[in-house]
Amino acid sequence: MKHFTLKRGLAAAFLASSALMAPPALAQGSDTLVIARSMDVNSLDPARAFCDTCQFYLTAVYETLVTLGADNKTLVPNLATSWEMNDDLTEFTFHLKDATFADGSPVEAKDVVWSMERLKNLKGSPSFLVDDLVSAEEVDPKTVKFTLGASNSEFLNKISAAYTGVINSDVAKEHGALDGVDAAEKDSSEPWFLENSAGSGPFMLKSYSPEAELRMARNDAYYGDKAAFSEVVVTQIQDAVSQAQALETGQVDIAMQIDPDTAASIRSPDVKTEIVPSFNFVYMGFIPGAKGMKDVLTPEVRRALALAIDYEGMLDFTVGGNGAQQAAPIPNGFPGTENLVPRTYDLEKAKAMLADAGATDLKLVAGYPNDNVYGVDFNIMMQKVQQDFAKAGVELELKPLTWAVWRDELGAGEWPVTAVYYAPDYYGSAQYVQYFGMIDGYPWAKRASVGDFPLVVNPAEGPLYEQALRSSGADADAAYAKLGQQMMDDAIILPLVSPNLVLAYRDDIEGVRYSACCNLPLAEISRK
Amino acid sequence: MADTTASLPGQTSGAMRLVRKLPPTAMIGALILLFWIFTVLTIQFWPLANPLDMVGRRLQPPSAAHWLGTDALGRDVFSRTMHGAVWSIPIAFLVVACAVAVGSVLGALSGFFGGWTDGIIMRLVDVTVAFPPILLAMAVAAMLGPGLTNASVAMVIVWWPIYARLMRAQVLEVKEREHVEAAIAGGAGPLRVLRVHVLPLCWTPTLINATMDFGQVVLLAASLSFIGLGAKPPSPEWGSMISEGATRFYSWWIAFGPGMAILTVVLATSFLGDGLRDVFDRRSS
Repeated sequence: MKHFTLKRGLAAAFLASSALMAPPALAQGSDTLVIARSMDVNSLDPARAFCDTCQFYLTAVYETLVTLGADNKTLVPNLATSWEMNDDLTEFTFHLKDATFADGSPVEAKDVVWSMERLKNLKGSPSFLVDDLVSAEEVDPKTVKFTLGASNSEFLNKISAAYTGVINSDVAKEHGALDGVDAAEKDSSEPWFLENSAGSGPFMLKSYSPEAELRMARNDAYYGDKAAFSEVVVTQIQDAVSQAQALETGQVDIAMQIDPDTAASIRSPDVKTEIVPSFNFVYMGFIPGAKGMKDVLTPEVRRALALAIDYEGMLDFTVGGNGAQQAAPIPNGFPGTENLVPRTYDLEKAKAMLADAGATDLKLVAGYPNDNVYGVDFNIMMQKVQQDFAKAGVELELKPLTWAVWRDELGAGEWPVTAVYYAPDYYGSAQYVQYFGMIDGYPWAKRASVGDFPLVVNPAEGPLYEQALRSSGADADAAYAKLGQQMMDDAIILPLVSPNLVLAYRDDIEGVRYSACCNLPLAEISRK
Repeated sequence: MADTTASLPGQTSGAMRLVRKLPPTAMIGALILLFWIFTVLTIQFWPLANPLDMVGRRLQPPSAAHWLGTDALGRDVFSRTMHGAVWSIPIAFLVVACAVAVGSVLGALSGFFGGWTDGIIMRLVDVTVAFPPILLAMAVAAMLGPGLTNASVAMVIVWWPIYARLMRAQVLEVKEREHVEAAIAGGAGPLRVLRVHVLPLCWTPTLINATMDFGQVVLLAASLSFIGLGAKPPSPEWGSMISEGATRFYSWWIAFGPGMAILTVVLATSFLGDGLRDVFDRRSS
């Protein structure tokens, strides 16, 4: 080891006390739109990608059959001009419009069939969107029919997710893309998708360098209204403060991940900030299947602990009040949430319930990713929980972890409390039941029970979910409302905060909005 | 070099003489260090807010009531900074002491006995030194899991080789001296020779180095906490406080307190170490 000198010590001290980084200098006021964000890209292949950045990239480059309207509720035509379904909600027929891919070839039923089969057979993260698809068939070049294994009133919503974007099958096949049942093992196109795109959207992929830059070029052959910018650059800027600085100096036009506190400190008159409710939420999860917790973290104890959290204070401490409480693990505004009432803080009742359950001297450990997501610093959030639990006589030890360690320890049931976040992939409540429902085999039932499903499975939820999928409209909403209530009573998932989202952009930019399916629709943005 | 032992600290007259010989910068360093040590020992009697309690609104800038403002959970940053010393200073002492103990023993054995003992220990030193210190500390801390105890273990692993090398070099030089040869000729056993005739003459560079490293250990501990491998929340550890402040840069006061605390400790130990070297080590001055 080298000996430390005074100078090096000083330099290190200053480094340690500052988190400034210089973002790259970029043109402003031009035909290029520059967006700052911390990119979380796992893949740029629609059937493999699963990330917030992917949502708006795929929306700009590929097109789905239907998409979500500006009200974030109504489904509107996209590649499909119209559609029909049978009464059972098992057969869906779509009529395609005369669209073309970026290379000029027409978008046909065979491309839709191929893309959907591939999405299902690649068994990637977004494959759950079409997991009940039995067959997709070409009726004629402009008509395609899907058949599902069971009724699904949310199928249309699911295929509004950006991951169901239609790929130019002829081009993709040339580069190793497959749609057969062996696609998961044999498809070799992933590297190609990192350098090229094959969609019908208003933009095309120009280049991507991981952790640095994602560049899209306008699709000049686009069949509809062409995009306003000839180029869109997403530049990697890690934290909210640096993003805000880049925005204030005009190095970027839009900053995607500014938290409300940072937004409040922006002084430049050239920057516009809008705070809108989001459908994202951060939650605490109980894991009764964790080591030694089976007889400790009973439903009564979990319900008592849920009442010991000061939810209003939580909202203030995590996002400065810029957010909302959320009752069940289904975001506010989604089907079935209208009449769900969030829990209210009741310390005395919590103490009484804990005493009744015989839970004295309760000591718990919380393992959670040491991260800052949607403006919520998990360390701050969990310290607040720690303080609240302490008031109820419960000791909570905090273990902030890296993502990799967190995943390992979660699977092994190392600790009984955790904290994570969730963002929707489309507008609809089924995805939440599919993920958070205490139903045999479902992801969170598995996590909470660490494989011992009977410990947490709620027998009421399975039939309610089937009922929700069979019905539509108000009946489906009613079923989701009951599911939400059941999930609240499970007291496994405790939504803590639904943070508001900050839309921050230079004042010469217009058309910026938040979409529940697509994050940030780039084609709608222009410069004044 | 014969009077080196006479001016070692520990004897009253020697200590007084040492204070008089120290340059003014070293005196300032010593005073700052004494201040922090005094803080550690007496902090519980200070009329400060509980560093873990919410005392006001969140993210308030410095005011008369809260000298360094409040953090994201409405805790008093000044109180947390002062209490942070209780975490950082004793740990730095402990880490340096362990590193000195382990490194000096191994280094002395290595230098005195030579041969395969020397070979094995020095290769171990080479391997450890081959890694950048922060990287090795991160790897060890990540492997053992986060927490200050594990971070301390990681830092001892990073630091002991310096002292092994220092001590070995000193022992190699001293063991060739005539009084050592005389002792061996007189029939003294090797361990006795090492303990009585060699080691007392080898401590000076180690002491100087340990003083200077003290600040660096505080810094490395803070760095590990900064990246989430050191102190666990809600401990008011300086590194984790800076980490909290870094994500709220406009609330500059959150990181300012602990940042200044680290700065003063690192500067103070550097000043003091430089001064001690000027006094003791004539070759470099």
